[in-house]
Amino acid sequence: MSLISPLALLAAAIVGPIIVAMYLLKLRREERSVSSTFLWQKMVRDVEANAPWQKLRRSLLLLLQLLLMLLLVLALARPFFQTQGISGRNLIIILDHSASMGASDESPSRLEAAKAKAIQLIDQMPDGGRATIIAAGGSMQVPAAATSDRRELRRAIDAIQLGNGGGSDLAQPLTLASALAAREEDSEVAIISDGNVSVPSDIRIPARVSYFPIGRATENVAVSAISLQPNQNSQTLFVQVTNYGASATARRLDIYLDGAIFNAYNLSLAPDPTHGQSIVAQIPPQVRVVEARLDGADALALDDRAFAVSTLGDALHVRLISLGNRFLETGLSLLPGVRVTKAISGTRTFTETITQIPVTIIDGPSPAVLPPGNLLFVGPIRSTDYFSVTGEIEFPSLRPVVGDDPVLRNVSLSEVSVLKMARITLGSWARVVVDSDGAPLLAVGERDGRRIAVLAFDLHNSDLPLQVAFPLLLSNLINYLAPGSGAEASQLVPGQPLAVQVDASISEVRVTRPDGTVANSRDGGVQIRDGQAIYADTDPLGVYVLEALRDGAVQTTHRYAVNLFAPKESAITAQRDLTVPQTSGAQSTISRTRDGRQEVWRWLALAALVVLVIEWLVYQRNGLVYLRQRWRERRAAAPIRR
Amino acid sequence: MTDPLLESSFLRKLDRLSILTRRAMAGDIQGERRSPRRGASVEFADFRPYATGDDIRQIDWNLYARAERFYLKLFVAEEELSVHLLVDTSASMDWGEPNKLRYAQQLAAAFGYIALSNLDRVSVSTFGAGPPAATLPSVRGKRGALPLFGFLQRLVPGKGGDLAKTCRTYVQTARTPGPLLLCSDLLDAGWKDALAAFSSRPFEVTVMHILAPQEIAPELDGDFKLVDVEGGEPVEISADIGLIQRYRENLATWRAEIESFCTGRGMNYLTVDTSVPVDEFVLSQLRKRGVLK
Repeated sequence: MSLISPLALLAAAIVGPIIVAMYLLKLRREERSVSSTFLWQKMVRDVEANAPWQKLRRSLLLLLQLLLMLLLVLALARPFFQTQGISGRNLIIILDHSASMGASDESPSRLEAAKAKAIQLIDQMPDGGRATIIAAGGSMQVPAAATSDRRELRRAIDAIQLGNGGGSDLAQPLTLASALAAREEDSEVAIISDGNVSVPSDIRIPARVSYFPIGRATENVAVSAISLQPNQNSQTLFVQVTNYGASATARRLDIYLDGAIFNAYNLSLAPDPTHGQSIVAQIPPQVRVVEARLDGADALALDDRAFAVSTLGDALHVRLISLGNRFLETGLSLLPGVRVTKAISGTRTFTETITQIPVTIIDGPSPAVLPPGNLLFVGPIRSTDYFSVTGEIEFPSLRPVVGDDPVLRNVSLSEVSVLKMARITLGSWARVVVDSDGAPLLAVGERDGRRIAVLAFDLHNSDLPLQVAFPLLLSNLINYLAPGSGAEASQLVPGQPLAVQVDASISEVRVTRPDGTVANSRDGGVQIRDGQAIYADTDPLGVYVLEALRDGAVQTTHRYAVNLFAPKESAITAQRDLTVPQTSGAQSTISRTRDGRQEVWRWLALAALVVLVIEWLVYQRNGLVYLRQRWRERRAAAPIRR
Repeated sequence: MTDPLLESSFLRKLDRLSILTRRAMAGDIQGERRSPRRGASVEFADFRPYATGDDIRQIDWNLYARAERFYLKLFVAEEELSVHLLVDTSASMDWGEPNKLRYAQQLAAAFGYIALSNLDRVSVSTFGAGPPAATLPSVRGKRGALPLFGFLQRLVPGKGGDLAKTCRTYVQTARTPGPLLLCSDLLDAGWKDALAAFSSRPFEVTVMHILAPQEIAPELDGDFKLVDVEGGEPVEISADIGLIQRYRENLATWRAEIESFCTGRGMNYLTVDTSVPVDEFVLSQLRKRGVLK
C-alpha cells in the first residue's frame, strides 16, 4: 500500500496538535459558583463508582475527533494498492462469455470471476476515463460503449449471460477494439477470458493489450458426439465421449431412453482430445429422445449431457418431375430419410401441400405451372419465372465462387467435367455458388418465400454422377432446400435457429423449451414468415419440441436436440498467455508490471463520515437521552390510551 | 437598605393574622395568650384548698359557706408568647435569584410583625454564620417592629458557621421556649443534629426550607467546575439531562428525608421556593399549613 500524495500527511502534524491543544484548553472547566456542593457531592460519589468509564467518556470526543482527522488526512493522501490492472484512460474490456466460461472451477463460475475482474478494472479506471464492454464468444455484444458512467458499466457487466453457442472467436471483438483504440490516445485493451479463444494473426492492435486469465482446472470429460440413425426396424445410437483433460480418468456414461435409464457404460478415458471413446447401441424404434449423461461432476457441467432425437418415420418427401433420370433416382434413394414421389412429366395440377411434399426436383423441361414448395432445377431447358435461359455454353470451366459455402460442403468439383450447360440469367435473388465463364453453373437463393436451386447442366452431359461429389452435393442441396428435416437437421448447435416449413393453414406454432417453458407464435415467441416457422432462442442445451397446430389440433411435431459439441469449449485448460499482435511489436499479453492502482480514499471518506456522525451523537447525548425518555413515556402512556 | 423589607399593604394584611400554637405556652409577663399557669384573668380555671401564705383575697367565700373550708378560686393566666426567629445567614443563603437570604429576611419580618401585632415577644437570632451570632434582644409590641426590621435588614452573610452547634447553643440559652421559625436552606451535613437540638426544649418549631429555583432545577449543560460559596470542595461535573435528572431525584429524596425527620419530632416542615412571592407564600401557604391563623 502506498500513497499518491504523502505530503497530505503533514496536515495531521498540524491539525492534530491544534485539536489536542483546544481540547486541553477546554478541559479547564467553566467555573460556576453554587450555594453548596452538598447535594452535588452526594451525586459525584454515586458517579465516581464508575470513574474509569467517566474518564473515557470525557476524552471520547477527543479520540473521535482525532480519528476523524486521521481518516480525512489519510483520504487526502490517497492511499492505493498496487494491483495487476490497467492504466489507460480509454479502456476496452473484451469479456469472454463463451460456454467454457461456465466452468465452475472458480467460485461460483469462471464467468462470475471474469465479471468481478471486469468490475475491478472499472473501479481502477482513472477519473474521467471511459470504458467499452465487449462480450465476446457466441454473438458479439457491446452492452456499454465508451461511457464513463461506472454505474452503467457495472450494470452492463452484470447483465452479461453465458452464451453457449458460437464458439470463442476473438476476430470480431478485436477488430472492433482496435478500431476503438485507434480513435483515441492512451487506450488499453483488456481481455478477460480463459484463453480458449482463436485470435486472428492478421490484426495489429494499436494499443496495449492486457490479458487476465480466468480459471484453474484442466480436467474435463465431455460427450463429444451423439447421433441416432434410423434403420429398418430399430435405431442405431452412437455416442462419443472424449477426455479433454491432461490425465486419464474413468467415468460412467448413462444412457436414458425417453427419460428412463437404458444402459450404463464404465469408460476409462485416456487424455486425448482428438480421439474419443465411442459406444454403439441398438435401441428400439419407438424411442423418441435419447439422453447421454456422464455420471459424476467435472469443472464444466454443460458438456456432460447430450441429446439425440429419433428421426424414424420423419421421411422427407421429394417430388421428382423428370423424363427419367437414373442418376438422380439412384442418388436420391441413397439419401437416408428421403422418399421420392415421381410425378408424370407434364402434370399441371399439384394437389399435395407444402407440408406433405416440400421439395420438388424438376429435371429437364419444367412444367407450365410450378409446384408449390422449394424447387431444384436440373439442366433447365426453358425459361421460368425465376430465370431465363439464353443459350448454351460448351465445355465450361467450373469455379466455386465462395470457398466454404454449405452447399459445397465436402464436395470437390475439381475433377468434374461438363460437356455443355445452359446459359442462364438469374435475378438478384440468387447467390451464385459455382461460376463458369461468366454464367452461373450452380446457384441458390430465395424468392417468393421458397428456396430455389438451379444446376445449369443436364446430368447426362457430365461425369459428375459418376463421382463421389454427386451424392454429397445432392445431400447438401436437399438439406438446403428442406431445412429442418432429416437426421442431420435435428441436431443443432446452441444459438442456431430452428426452422421448419409450414403451410398457410397452420395457425399456430408452439416450441417447448428444455426447461418446460413454451414459446408461441401468437405472442411473437416463434415467428412465421414466408411459409417458415423460425425460433431463434436456442441457447440452452436440451431437447426442443416444435408443434404446428391447426385450429388447436397438433398437426406435426418435430424434435430438435441442441448440444454443445465444441472441442474448443470443452478443452477448458486456462491459457496463461495469449498471442495478440500489437503495433508496439509486443505479442505477449502477460502483464509484467503491476501498474493498476486500487484507490481506497472513498472508503476512508465514508468511515470519516460515520465517525463524524458518531462524534456528533456523542456530543449531543442530551438529545439522545431526551428522545429515550420521550420514548419511555410514550410506551408507558400507550396502554392507558388503549 | 433601599427597599423596605415588606410592603405596607402587605403589613396591613398581616395585622389580621396571628401565630397559631398547638398548646398553651408560658410567657414572662402578662399578655394575650392563654398560659398553662394560673393567674389573674376573668376566666375561671380551678379551685384549690387554702394553704398558709395564700392571698386571702382569692378565697371563694361562697364555697366556704357551703363547705366550711377555705378554697382559693384560680383563674387562667394570660401571658405573652415568646416567638423565636432564627435566620440562617451562612454564605450559601446569599445565593439564588431571587435571593434566599432576602427571602428569609422577609419571611422572618412578616412572622415577627404578626407576633408583635399580637403583643407577643419576638427575639431574632442568626445562625449558621461564624460566631458571634447576631441577636436581637426581645422586642414587644408594635413599637418593636422598627428595630426588628432594621435588625433583619442589617444582616450580612458570613462563613464558617456550624449549624448544629449554633442551634444547640441557642436552645440552651433561650429564656422561654415558644414558637420558633427556622429559615434555612439546610445545606449542611449537620442539618440533622441541628434540628434534633430543638426537641430538647418545648419549642414549636417550623422549618422553612428555603431553596432557590436554581437549586431545585439547575439549568446546567456541559462541563462545569462547581465552586462552593462556603468554601467547600469544588465538584467537577459533566452535566447532561441524565445527571440533572439524578440531581432532582436526589433532591427529592433529601427533602423527603428532612420531612419525615421533622414530622417524627412534631415540627412543621415547609419547603419554600424563592420564586414564589413572599406575601403569597405567607398569606396562603402558612395559613394552609396551620402556622398562622
